Amino acid sequence: MSSFEKVGDGYSLDLTLDEAHILINLVEQLLELLGEGDFFHHYDSSDPLAQLLAMPSEIVTPDDPVLLRLLPNAYADPEAASDFRRYTEPQLRGAKQKNLRIVREELTILVDENHGGVIEDLNADIWLKALNDLRIALSVRLEISEDSFDKFELLPDEDPQKPVYAVYFWLGWLQENLLGLLV
Amino acid sequence: MAKTLTKEEVNISELLDRPWITIVWDDPVNLMTYVTHVFIKLFGFSKERAHELMMQVHNEGRAVVSSGTREEMERDVQRLHEHGLWATLQRDDKI
Repeated sequence: MSSFEKVGDGYSLDLTLDEAHILINLVEQLLELLGEGDFFHHYDSSDPLAQLLAMPSEIVTPDDPVLLRLLPNAYADPEAASDFRRYTEPQLRGAKQKNLRIVREELTILVDENHGGVIEDLNADIWLKALNDLRIALSVRLEISEDSFDKFELLPDEDPQKPVYAVYFWLGWLQENLLGLLV
Repeated sequence: MAKTLTKEEVNISELLDRPWITIVWDDPVNLMTYVTHVFIKLFGFSKERAHELMMQVHNEGRAVVSSGTREEMERDVQRLHEHGLWATLQRDDKI
């Protein structure tokens, strides 16, 4: 089974080709959901110049429940939440896209060369955040609750949600594995 | 969920100089070890304190993780959201 390893001061991740495909698929879907087109952005989203054309007045509370969980309201009061969102959401969205883009680049090497292998010297902090965002996204689609593991165990193998649950729990295992190395 | 302050309450609370607080809410997704890790990383808590706050989120459904000015709490909430934790800010409703 794939796992992270601590190598000197750095971290590496050994993945099979299938696992790399699953991860890059999820990463690209989430990038798309976060509004990233399939082109390379040459500006850094934290650059103040990048905000010039962002049209903050059009930023509204997301309808999609995955986006609402990833970009949540900061205030219970809807008006305060909406004001805060107008000024901060591009940066939050940009930070999440940036993590996913970095993970995507590292996975691309394995996928393009069509073999499994080791991603060396990866940024543990970025991987933790990206894995967490992927888990959150899947959890909303799967309507994860405290007793989801039992529900998953009882699902028949032919249930279309079963493999999605399996991926969700695998991502949690990977994240736990990496966290264990950081202590 | 957090209550919305009325205008009168805001004025009174300003007189009392009540601080703003950042609250982290429980969710069934974030790993306990991850939440503890984020608390240590963002707020510099000891491992024990971070674990205690994480358990409070888990058992009571919420925990106050920081307090200060509104601007400081907005920054904390934003950093928690960057890490995927579910956080909000409000005025401290304890007198």
